[in-house]
Amino acid sequence: MAAGLLMRGSTQFGLFVILFIMWVVFSSLAPGFLSRFNLNSVGRSVAIDIVVGFAQMVVLATGGMNLSVGAIGVCSVMTLGYFLQMWGLPIPVAILLTLGLGGVLGWLNGFAITRTGVNSFVVTLATASLFTGAMLIFSKGVPLNGLPPELGAFAKSSVGRVPTLAIVAIGIGIALYVLFKHSVLGRQILAAGANPRAAEMSGVPVDRVIVFVHVLSGVLAAAAAIMLTAKNGAALPGAAGDDWLLPSFLAPVIGGTSLAGGLISVVGTIFGALLVSTIRSGLLVLQIGNFWLQLFLGIFLLGAILLERYRSALAVRAQTRAA
Amino acid sequence: MRTRFSRGFAAATLACSVALFPLVASASDNKIVLVPGGPHPYFAPWEQAAADAQKDFSIASVEYKVPSEWKLEMQTELLESLAAQGTNAFGIFPGDAVGINSTIGEFKANNIPAVALGGCAQDPTDMNFCMATDVYQSAYIGTKALIEAMGGKGAVVHMAGLLIDPNTVLRVQAVEKAVAETNGAVTLLQTIGDTDSQEAGDQKVNALLASSKDKVGGIIATGYVSSVVTATALKNLGDKRIKMIGIDDDKIVLDGIKDGFVSGTMAQNPYGQGYIGAYALDLIAGGCTLKADAPWVKTPQTAHFIDSGTLLISSANAETYKDDLKALTKKIQGSFKDTYLTCS
Repeated sequence: MAAGLLMRGSTQFGLFVILFIMWVVFSSLAPGFLSRFNLNSVGRSVAIDIVVGFAQMVVLATGGMNLSVGAIGVCSVMTLGYFLQMWGLPIPVAILLTLGLGGVLGWLNGFAITRTGVNSFVVTLATASLFTGAMLIFSKGVPLNGLPPELGAFAKSSVGRVPTLAIVAIGIGIALYVLFKHSVLGRQILAAGANPRAAEMSGVPVDRVIVFVHVLSGVLAAAAAIMLTAKNGAALPGAAGDDWLLPSFLAPVIGGTSLAGGLISVVGTIFGALLVSTIRSGLLVLQIGNFWLQLFLGIFLLGAILLERYRSALAVRAQTRAA
Repeated sequence: MRTRFSRGFAAATLACSVALFPLVASASDNKIVLVPGGPHPYFAPWEQAAADAQKDFSIASVEYKVPSEWKLEMQTELLESLAAQGTNAFGIFPGDAVGINSTIGEFKANNIPAVALGGCAQDPTDMNFCMATDVYQSAYIGTKALIEAMGGKGAVVHMAGLLIDPNTVLRVQAVEKAVAETNGAVTLLQTIGDTDSQEAGDQKVNALLASSKDKVGGIIATGYVSSVVTATALKNLGDKRIKMIGIDDDKIVLDGIKDGFVSGTMAQNPYGQGYIGAYALDLIAGGCTLKADAPWVKTPQTAHFIDSGTLLISSANAETYKDDLKALTKKIQGSFKDTYLTCS
């Protein structure tokens, strides 16, 4: 029966089952896990992790990677703070300009990759350092904490019991789902990731597609940065950066996005980010010794991934038998 | 026989209850947690401070919890999970002076008081107060002591901490002021930032000594790790000509003082911060409020600063400075309630 349950459904269903089990376990062991306070804080954190995961996922779709997601994030954080505090721009204008900056930095990545032919790993590793260095020169490492209170209030607000930031993340997810599922451009991105040469021969402008995904990745990193700035109520030079590297890969990869390109999962990325946040929050609420937290997080994540892979293998075997 | 046994058992139980009552009863039901910004040896005395405060002030629970990494996100996640589990007062070293304020604001909205210990949050903040070392004063006194050890002339190098830490800015200003007061007899050769991590600090101090050790008359290190790596480098070099003043009381630095490679180090009072912080939190969570007219020190970060004390450790007091710090802690704690709080 358990094997039957495991075999049914998609990768997302398997992740959903694992998530459900974890929520049941954590909420029965630690009543505080389901408290409104904890759900709000987890909801806000996971919303940012989801968008950070999306920023990496769109590049993974082409078989590349963007190690500068965090660097674009911290540049966007400080730029938004500068626009709001120093220039006094209205919030919507500052947000649009910040998203634009994210797009420009992403375009620089895409342009350098396609023009030089150097692997995206190397290019984005270099630009991560370049972007962070430029941010430190311009901001002098000074945080900006005179932002309009409406920004912080937005991050703290919720619709019913769902934090508004989580709704923003889901909205972005729906837009990406439509892009990849129902648009020619989305299919071209996946084709370029699955087999660039075949895609090129089929008329897909692979270079242009690679530039586009990097622009999109930059815009998504800037969106996550705006959410983070709203959550912190301040623009902090220590925000984002290297802290985003691991979550940016974990969420999409756990969710079924292939590192080799050509295969992504928007819903899986959402579940992947939720899984990581659930495990982290659950272990914290259970008051597992803080120095044990990383170890347990690793064990839980490895267990969840292996269980999911086992379930996928069973499902494939069952489908082969049925055929 | 059975009756006698029962009476004896009841009497013994009563006696035990009375005898043990002071140990098990708590004067308050408060659950207090002290949370540093991340793992760092500076905060190790907070664990003992928490245990002592729980016992001395009969608080239901005072714990010391360390975020697994030195990241604001890790700290706020830990704080929020502790609040979800019933902690009702926090002593916090802010993982980020500005970034922590959002979480503290939410705590205040949920009637959970917090105080900043060891380092301050940037105003405007909902932290009740900040008890820490006056870093400007500490760096100033330390530099003056260094200049004296150098004989009032020569070139100084400042090994500073994280460039994005607001305390680093204050320390840099203090060192510059002390040097400027010599009217050119002492010059500031270089300020080297981001040295408060093992690898970076080690590389930078060794690069400095390799390239210009003959020009350097003295080194002031204002970060914990910066002090340790500088003391180690000077000992490895075997050069007692270059004078050094560090910060904190790591064994390597204290050994350097005994061996003559380090002139002195500025002691901070982390134990006092944890001990007095827990005491104050218990009172605030119990209904006490801050006195507006208390002798708050105003710093660039906050208008509610309390100096937890600092002193220079040299060869003269290397064996006795801990007693001096304990006496200082008792003195601040003894007058804290009347000086800073209004309790009904």
